[in-house]
Amino acid sequence: MANLDEALFLAINGFVGTLPALDRAASLVASDYLVPKALALALVAMWFMEPDRDARMRHQIGVITALAAMSLSGLAVFIINIFYFRPRPFADMDANLLFYRPTDSSFPSNAAAAAFGLAFGACGARRNFGIAFIIAAALYGLARVYAGVHYPMDIAGGAIIAAAATWTAFRMRDALMPVLTLAIRLARVFRLA
Amino acid sequence: MFTFATDYFIGVFISTLGALQFAFSVGGFRAALFFKGALAARTLGLALAVAGFALFFETEFRNINDYEGGLDSPAQALFFFYGALAALGFTLALASLINRRMNAPEDGDDDPEAGLDALRETNYAASAARGAAHWRRHWRTWTKRYFSP
Repeated sequence: MANLDEALFLAINGFVGTLPALDRAASLVASDYLVPKALALALVAMWFMEPDRDARMRHQIGVITALAAMSLSGLAVFIINIFYFRPRPFADMDANLLFYRPTDSSFPSNAAAAAFGLAFGACGARRNFGIAFIIAAALYGLARVYAGVHYPMDIAGGAIIAAAATWTAFRMRDALMPVLTLAIRLARVFRLA
Repeated sequence: MFTFATDYFIGVFISTLGALQFAFSVGGFRAALFFKGALAARTLGLALAVAGFALFFETEFRNINDYEGGLDSPAQALFFFYGALAALGFTLALASLINRRMNAPEDGDDDPEAGLDALRETNYAASAARGAAHWRRHWRTWTKRYFSP
């Protein structure tokens, strides 16, 4: 499995240098600040853009769920990294690096876990947004493999953790629905929801 | 331009201004818009959203580690929150000023939970003031419904 992961990494990362424009694009997409900020902005828009009041409340609960899923994903990655450390690809092999040298564990990918957590969480409230989020999160993960900072299994691991975290967030949402409804109704009084 | 965190905050602020204009336009919340026309509002929204990213990425090299001046995940989340909150406050204040004549008696008088729907005909300052006044008068009965056994 590890050999397959390394072979897949080398196949993807081996393209670096072939097309300078692709390298620049991958470096931008892999950045810590592009996809996370874009997803967060889309959540802001999702909170405010629905004309119908009932649908808007569903979307707003979806935004809260997505944020909870992202937070739970981050927490799960943090706990896993206490017990398990995997060196980054550039530390183990001759990788083409388009990124700075992170010092934390390669597996599971914290970035992928957070992005997929937002995506799966948003999917439960507004499917078209969720699908767009999932595509963005997948591109983000692929770009990070291409840029030489993650193995493909790190990204897959992050996505699986995000799926489990989202499942937990959905259960929490159902249990906390009266509190969420109260919070949104209170925000409505002040014209913020 | 400034420090990394300040640049990030400014980028988030500008992009969120755009996202809010776009979202308010799609939602039909006219009193929260800087321009009444849907095309103008959405064009401005998209332009500002892109400008926030461009300003951040085009001014300096941004692929740097957190211990070399970048932001770690919690700091990034915190600065996003600050930037988005500032943009929301700025949007509602400026739109209230621009749309100060949109002060029609709103549904909120009958429906205190009109929420964003109140911003179709009434500017935020006037509408939120009515919401706050209602809250001051009725907060005991309002919360009692939820917290009484």
